[in-house]
Amino acid sequence: MELLHIIPQFLISGLTFGAIYSLVALGFVTIARASQIINFAQGEFVMLGGMVTFFFIKNVHLPYLLSAFLAIGVVICLGFLLHLLVIYPLRKASLPILLLATLGASLFLSSSSALFFGTLPKALPPFSGKDLLEIGGVSLSAQSLFVLIATFFVLFLLYILSHYTHLGKAMEASSTDPLGADLCGISRHLMTFLAFGVCSGIGALAGIFITPLFYVSYHSGTLIGLKGFISAVIGGWGKYGGAILGGFILGVAESLSIAFIPAGYKDGVAFLILLLILYFRPKGILGSPFMDSRRW
Amino acid sequence: MVERIHQDFRKREILYSLALWLLSLILPDPQLHYRREYRLRWRDLFYLLAILLLPLLFSDPHFHHLMVLAGIHGILALGLTLFLGYAGQISLGHAAFFGIGTYTTAILTTRHGWPPFLAFWASGMVASIFAYLIGKPLLKLKGYFLALATLGFGEIFLVLIKESASLTGGVIGIFGIPWFRIGGFVFDTYLKQYYLVWIVLVGLVLFTKNLIRSKVGRAYMAVATSEDAASSVGIHVSRIKLEAFMVGAFYAGLAGSLFACVMSTATPETFSLNLSVLIVMMVILGGMGNLYGPILGAIFLTWLIDTLAQYQDYSLPLYGVILILLLIFFPDGMGTRLRVRLIYLISYWGRKKRREKVNL
Amino acid sequence: MRKSALSFIFIFIFALSLSLSYSAEKSPYKIGVNFELTGPWAEITKTLRNAMVLEVERINQRGGINGKPLELIFEDNGFEAGRAAANMTKFTKDPEVFLVVGPFEDTLQATTRAIAEREKITNIIVCPSNRVLREMKQRWAFNIAHNDIIVSEKLVDLSLARKYKKILVFHAAHPLAQTLAEYYKRFGEEKGLKVFISPETHKHTDIDMTPQLIKMKPIIEKEKIDAFYACTSGPPGPIVCKNFRALGIKIPILGTHAFGFGFIIALGGEAMEGVEFPGAKPVVFDQLDENDPAKSINIEFDKRWRERYGTPSDQIAGYGHDIIGLIEDSIKRVKGKVTRETFRDALENTKGFKGTHGLYSFGPAEHDGLSKKDLVFVRIEGGKFKRIRFPGFE
Repeated sequence: MELLHIIPQFLISGLTFGAIYSLVALGFVTIARASQIINFAQGEFVMLGGMVTFFFIKNVHLPYLLSAFLAIGVVICLGFLLHLLVIYPLRKASLPILLLATLGASLFLSSSSALFFGTLPKALPPFSGKDLLEIGGVSLSAQSLFVLIATFFVLFLLYILSHYTHLGKAMEASSTDPLGADLCGISRHLMTFLAFGVCSGIGALAGIFITPLFYVSYHSGTLIGLKGFISAVIGGWGKYGGAILGGFILGVAESLSIAFIPAGYKDGVAFLILLLILYFRPKGILGSPFMDSRRW
Repeated sequence: MVERIHQDFRKREILYSLALWLLSLILPDPQLHYRREYRLRWRDLFYLLAILLLPLLFSDPHFHHLMVLAGIHGILALGLTLFLGYAGQISLGHAAFFGIGTYTTAILTTRHGWPPFLAFWASGMVASIFAYLIGKPLLKLKGYFLALATLGFGEIFLVLIKESASLTGGVIGIFGIPWFRIGGFVFDTYLKQYYLVWIVLVGLVLFTKNLIRSKVGRAYMAVATSEDAASSVGIHVSRIKLEAFMVGAFYAGLAGSLFACVMSTATPETFSLNLSVLIVMMVILGGMGNLYGPILGAIFLTWLIDTLAQYQDYSLPLYGVILILLLIFFPDGMGTRLRVRLIYLISYWGRKKRREKVNL
Repeated sequence: MRKSALSFIFIFIFALSLSLSYSAEKSPYKIGVNFELTGPWAEITKTLRNAMVLEVERINQRGGINGKPLELIFEDNGFEAGRAAANMTKFTKDPEVFLVVGPFEDTLQATTRAIAEREKITNIIVCPSNRVLREMKQRWAFNIAHNDIIVSEKLVDLSLARKYKKILVFHAAHPLAQTLAEYYKRFGEEKGLKVFISPETHKHTDIDMTPQLIKMKPIIEKEKIDAFYACTSGPPGPIVCKNFRALGIKIPILGTHAFGFGFIIALGGEAMEGVEFPGAKPVVFDQLDENDPAKSINIEFDKRWRERYGTPSDQIAGYGHDIIGLIEDSIKRVKGKVTRETFRDALENTKGFKGTHGLYSFGPAEHDGLSKKDLVFVRIEGGKFKRIRFPGFE
């Protein structure tokens, strides 16, 4: 049947999206490992990564690579600001308030982006021209490969950070057992602060890699952020491996589902998977190290 | 000049707000606390009279339109307050029930010719049926996961509405919903709709008041405080949570029906996550565990959005900033200790300076 | 000390401020403008606003019309139906406003049209009409954009000129795109083309249409489709082209008139090369025929626009210019006092008004101003819009 021939193509696009969601999910997990806060503004960091790069290229006329680095720097500063202005004042607040505060921050970031950069969508050129690879009847753009490479690279870096550096272990400790961490002299707020920087950096990197595939506009952050969060939850809340696994599962499931149902339901599939996982296995597929600690 | 932008009365606004803040010192207190609140007091009569007489004082149709919208938001906030404020569970998908109510009324009145009055009640019922179906599996979750799950449900609802073009008109929506009628009396002007919405709201407030002070209400509060303790005294926790969810959805369905009859169109874009966040904000700003608070929060936020709209480009960023500031400074709601908090803020700086002087 | 009831403070504030803000001005002609000044189309509506402001200032500097200046009152509807309705109501309740311009987007026009019809005020709408709305035969709504019928007819002409036999149509999920696709199929098949409308659709906020295109690829290969019609507007247009080319499909792409914007080329990049569509005249105004009145009007308007705003003008600015021009022309033809009724009648009798887009003519049965002659064939080459001519098909 026709469908069987085109399923590999769907798989490829699914893997591309999977890599994207994984990158975003890694950002969520980083913050969760440090402080158990969920940062709904993560998607906005991804969007801002692409937007700010475009701004540096078009308006300041800097070369691509330099713009990218500067953009990551700018977004990391924004991440720090977000922590200082929103998360830190609310450190003692209850759950719905934190939730709404990050949602408010996400709204602020996306609408300010519309204000500064305009509402029209912006595109970035692909990294390596318009290479189109053709493997066994399936088309693949070089950019998708770059996204995949970036995902695993970031995963590798985070793994080293959390398992082999002092800082990483301190971050994990402050999340699993805040009281114990305090007793050891680890400043929880500093950990959270740094985690926000790391996570916004990851987001910006993701944005720069992703934008050449589609485009970036002020509202593209919200949905990607939500789907990244869903991936993190599906795979196992709080585990880097879980974020990657969840991202790929979501990406592939979404793309494959289009083969069988009308395309408009694509977003609904993501949320449906979320509801199923939350209902049957809330810890996520790989399990979660955080479910037993106090905040949950 | 060629264009007229409504920026000329910003200074007037600040002046009026100061003057009226002084006036507010003598206005009655909206907060309800513990047992004293449940009896009818002069305050309730004052509010009732204010609601009935206000539109006659200000006959501007824009004011009426805004108050109609505020009233509908008030009903929404009232419903959510049972779930969020009293039972302590988070729902980020409440706009979906609102949407269910709107679309039910839209479909019943335009396609099947139901009278709006019947469609009104039907919307409430349909919304609470959906709440039952969704709530049964979802309410097992807690905290962030419940918030996420309700958010997911809200988004799925939106996708379904946009896709089922034959039932709901898809992205375009449904037009030509008739005005609300009771018998021969048609609610076609904003003034009449104002009274319709606010009388429904008053009725629901009375109902909710009774609910809160009954065994059911106390059960909600018990569940919010500690689920384990509540179940240990024999309260069926999951059933109570489901009931609170269903009642909240019922109110949202009624609000949706009124919205359909006021707007005469139903479009999916209205029922987005932003609306859910707005409703939760109204409840939080009004103060959780309060009955009148969320309604006043609804009025305030509706007015705020309308005022911000005149700043056009800056409206959304300003809205985001104000949201965050309100959450930081008024996590218990705005009415509580407002004056105390402002004085505290002002005196904080004085105390900080004094402290620095001492330390030197 | 009693605690404060904040809400009442704020009710009083905004009520008072509202009652004080509508101080009436006696003299000018007041025109209400209901645009999506925030939201995804904000930059485009800002261009519209700037164009209208430019033209109104020019008229007022000359002393206005009949000695009275024009005044535009802008309200933002934020791309929401509720606020669009609220703005319409606000304008209709002001007795000095005799006309409302806007909205720009398709999804909002049904709401404002209904209110205009009920309250009997003229509503000039910038987006194209569609079949459902035209069947309602509303007296008070006028559309100035190219409607779906003429765009489809012109595209059929383009397909015939290029000798395409089989075309696959991929349209967006909103009513304008749907009717564009339907008319194209109807007119095409009358002229002997074979048109396939794909059951796949996309939403105008989608950022990736690859899944739908993957499903279409086997059909393209099996049926040997000659050309692909990306029947959509806004960012999805270039995205579809990009995705299409990324799948390695090489057949030519046709677009709608909404492809005539600079940002479309910027967004699509390489994939936009060779895309052809029926474009509005301002898109390629320097390449129009010498005897075309629109050419000189465009050149003059572009000069004025650049002097004031420093950027090149586009078809949207052209609409702004044409709206004000139509209003001025209609007011001049009103015998006696300008009321909502007399203005509507004058506008409806407009015949052959020369604007940047072409000739506008209205009539009791014709509330869409432009005709097929006001579209030209455009091709994207070298990152720019180039006019192409097919003698016998113009």
